[in-house]
Order: sequence, then C-alpha cells, then structure tokens
Amino acid sequence: MSILEWGGYEASGTKAQTYGLKSGADYTKKYGASGITYSYIQDDDQALNKATQTQFDLMHPCNENVKDYIDRGLAQPWDTSLLPSFSQLNPDMVKIGQANGNQYFIPWDWGYGSLLYRTDMVDPADATGWELAWNPKYKGKISLWSGASTNFEIAALKLGFPHMDDLSDTELEQAKQALIEQKPLNKLYWSSEYDQEQPNFKSGTVWITYAWQDSFVSMTAAGRKCAFLQPSQGRLSWICGFMLGAHTQNYYHAHDYVESYINHASCVNMTNLFYYGTANTTVTPDLVKNKELVKALDLGNPSAVVSGSNHLQSWAPNRSQLELAWEEVKTS
Amino acid sequence: MIPPLFVVLLLLLGPVVLLALYSVNLRTNIPFAPTSFSGADWKDFLTRAGNPFRGRFFFSLRFTLLVSVASTAAAYPLAYYLAFVARRFRYVLLLLLIAPFFTSYLLRVVAWSNMMLNENGIVNQALWFFHILPHGHAVGWLLYSNFSVFLVLFYSWIPFVSLPIFAVLENMDHRLIEASTDLGASRLSTFWRVTFPLSLPGVIAAFVFVLIPTTGEFITPLYVGGPSNQLFGNLIQSFFGDSPNWNYGAVLALALIAVVLVLMLLFGRYLNTDLREQPREAA
Repeated sequence: MSILEWGGYEASGTKAQTYGLKSGADYTKKYGASGITYSYIQDDDQALNKATQTQFDLMHPCNENVKDYIDRGLAQPWDTSLLPSFSQLNPDMVKIGQANGNQYFIPWDWGYGSLLYRTDMVDPADATGWELAWNPKYKGKISLWSGASTNFEIAALKLGFPHMDDLSDTELEQAKQALIEQKPLNKLYWSSEYDQEQPNFKSGTVWITYAWQDSFVSMTAAGRKCAFLQPSQGRLSWICGFMLGAHTQNYYHAHDYVESYINHASCVNMTNLFYYGTANTTVTPDLVKNKELVKALDLGNPSAVVSGSNHLQSWAPNRSQLELAWEEVKTS
Repeated sequence: MIPPLFVVLLLLLGPVVLLALYSVNLRTNIPFAPTSFSGADWKDFLTRAGNPFRGRFFFSLRFTLLVSVASTAAAYPLAYYLAFVARRFRYVLLLLLIAPFFTSYLLRVVAWSNMMLNENGIVNQALWFFHILPHGHAVGWLLYSNFSVFLVLFYSWIPFVSLPIFAVLENMDHRLIEASTDLGASRLSTFWRVTFPLSLPGVIAAFVFVLIPTTGEFITPLYVGGPSNQLFGNLIQSFFGDSPNWNYGAVLALALIAVVLVLMLLFGRYLNTDLREQPREAA
C-alpha cells in the first residue's frame, strides 16, 4: 500500500516509525508492515503536486486542499460503514470532508500554526502578534516555513485583510511586498520540521520560527525556554485527515489502515505524543497527561479550530497566482 | 534491435521536447486544465522589467563561475603534487582524496549543515575552545549564507576536479620538461612555459566538470543556503515540486539547458585530455 504522508506519522510497527506513535498498530499487527511504502511531503502544495503526478492508495492532506484533490480526480469516497470508529468523529470536521453527498476526507488530526519563540531571547513586549516575524531587531534569528499559502495567510493577518485565503489582486500584491520585506530577516525558510526547524531552534541558530504545537512541546521538553505565540490577530489552525486514492487496488486495506488511526487508543496516543487535537471525540481532556497544555491549546474544545481568534486554513481560489507570487518572494 | 543512437536521442531529446511543450502551455501538470499555445511565460521571463527569476539566473551563473574558477585553481596544486611529487604513493593518496565520496552526497551536505557550520557546530565550538570567540557567541554567517553554499560546493568538487588535471599531468611527455631544464629555464619558467600550457586541456576539462553540473545545483543551497542564497536550480526544483507550475518551470529549465549547451559548444573541443604522442602515420 502506497501512502503519501508527513514524516513522523508512519504506522507503528514500520521501521520508519521512530517517534513513538502507536497509530496504525492494529493494521501492522494484522497484516505486517512490509507491504507499506511511504512517500514523504513537506508542505501542502508539494503534497498536491505529488498526488497529482503519482497514484497513491492513501493520502494525508489538510482541509484546505480537499477540494483540489476531488476536482483533480485524485480521490474517491470512503465507505464509512467499513470504519467502526467513524461514528466517534467530530461531526463538524466530518462535514468539512464531504462533497456531492460523499465522504471524501476522514478527519484525524488538528492543531495550530503560530510563531514559536525563545522567551529568554525575545523581549515579551515584542511578542504580541505576527509582526514579530517582521521585527528587524531579530534579523537572522527568524525562520518562516517554506509553505506558500501559509506565508500569505500570515502576511494577510499581519496586514489586517479580512479573508486570508481569498485575497484580491491588490491584497495579494501587498502581501507579496510584505513578505519580500520580511525575507532578509530570515535565517532560512525551513522545509523539514525534524531536519531543519527543530534542530535550528534547539541549537539557538533561530529564536523565532513558524511552528506547529508539537515543536512547542518538543522544544520545551528539550529544555528550551520558549512560548507558542498567541498573536493579537489570531493563530492559524488546520485539520488534516485521510483521502482514498481514486485508483487504489487496496480499497479494504486502506479502510483498515485508517481505522487503525482514527480509533480511540490511537488518538489518545497521538494527542499525548504530539499534543495535536484529534477528530475522535472520545479523547477527552482527562485522558491527556499534561493538563496545562490541554488548557493552553484548548484541546478539550471540539470547535477550537474555528473558535476565538483562530483562523482555519481554507481553500484558496487563486492558488496558482499565490504560488507564483511566493516564488517571486523567494527569488527577490 | 533498436539502434543505440535512436535510444540515446529518445532519452535525451524526449524530455526536452516535453519541456518545450510545457513551456508554451501545450501541456500542463494540472489535470483537466485547458491547454493552448501561449508564449506568455517566455515573454514574462525574458522581457518583464525586474523579473526576479531572470535576476536569479544571472546571479547563479556568476556564482557557479566563481565556484568553478576557485575549485579548479585549488585542485591544480593538488593534482600537481599527485602527479609529480607523490610518486609511488600517488594512487594511495588519490584514493584517500576521494574516500569521503563513498558516502552519499546528501549526507555530506547535511553533515556540513547540522554538524560543522551551525551555531553549535564543530567550527564554532573550536572557536570557543581556543578562546577566539567568547563561549556562546557564534559566527552567524558560517551557515545559510553565500559563504556556506560556496564552501560546500567547493569541497564537493575539488576531488573530481583534480582528476582530469592529474590525468593530463600524468600523461605529459616529461622529456619536454627535461628539455626545458637542460636549456636553462628555471623551475618556475618551465612550469609557466611548458607544464601549465600543456596541462590546459585538463584545466579546461576540470573547469567544465564543475561549471556544468553546478549550474543546475540545488541540494547544497537547499540545505546550507539561506533565503537569499538559493540558486537557479532551486527555483526550477521549486516550480516542479513545491509550488507546482510546470509551465513556468519548463521555461526556466530550457533557459538553463540553453546556457549549458552554449558552454558545451564553447569548451567541448578542449575536453581531450590524452596528450600522449599520437602514432606517426606511415610514410
């Protein structure tokens, strides 16, 4: 079974799983791990591109790209009756994965994107919003992600645009200029969380980095004094999940595999490991070890991704313009 | 049986033809997207004032030229030592020189990034150990800079660049050097007037060995370069991978292929490194 996956999410029992994730254990116990091959992705645009060029049995995109996968004929609907844990999933997230009356996307993990920063290096007065990434005081100590759409969302939030994923031509140009202005402050645009983002933050090469909350947990555990910024404009939020390849020859295996990820035990483990939220509503806050983190990350709130000031990353109608603009930012 | 020339042409020209089709929008990487002939991407790349991709193209050419000149210049004394000084140990030394290259290129680049040059890396730790810098104060430009990209490319190419120069020096007719000495030329004069001119084909071959692959290089800048130190190869890789726009990417790739072809035509005739005396034709 070929799976398009982010590093760290490999099934338990495979050689590639070295992070302690127990998801997928039921599948590998039943069928063994030798039949699974992973292709890795580092950002959403790259994921969509790889899925377009190569047929996969399973893919792990995020909600902002679900429409693209369907429109391009890359995915087919799930038979939810083959997923015993499907009924336990958050109905709002389940709805996001529906199109034409079919369930194309099985939500699994959710979380936030924000700036992770060193509290012993960054003045608390500077850590108020996304403008922290534009603060020249920290030139050479900042690192944004190389994700095109995410950076335009960040720029849009910083500039106060009302719809971060539906920018007009003028707004897109302004966001591009803002990112060009920000570019010299970066040490690097990181593309790999485990090879670049976390090692650079840990070593002190970078003090301010775009990150997901698992990095906050890892860096805190590594003894770094850090905080996961709550920007005045709000954090980014995301929901990712599984899509079934349009031409898969492993239809039933794919269902078994996904069931081994969305079941209660797998989701409890995933949340306790990465401190990401899970779509499985049976994972209640009392099952998560670090209660402070549960509170700080609002993990007990089933609507957290769209509540408060959080901005759920969504489908962008002008994706191709945005990607070209991002290349211009990187090249300028 | 398929003629070998046909297979070679198919494998070499086929992808280029495909690129050409993408570059004028007669193919697209997005399923169900309409295709029709358009030269808009070519026009944008070639004529739009301030096009950053064109700027990066010339930056990359200058950068690879610098890497090629520096690598060739540094490789020459190495090759000279192996050919004329090391004598019977030369092949052992040659093997030692290329020994690190038995490991993956990618691993070596990541090692430079994560072990050697980062702020807690071996270089900064050595500076702290010898009290050249106060502990904790790192040299920031060691990594994610033009310097780091240059250094890693320079390191990567030196052994390969040494080989063609070594081959030429090794095959050189040593009687010419002896004749120069017998006629009273100093060692320096012999080097400049005999050895170096005769080794020029190897030097040019070495230079081309670095220049052409480095023109499309993207791994090293990706891992040790910062946002402003990416080369044209990274741009092409990005257009085909991260921000998929194969039509524009094809324009950039073809522009690069054109430059490489010109370089090949310019330097191709110097690539013969066999200086042994040709057998005389029968009278």
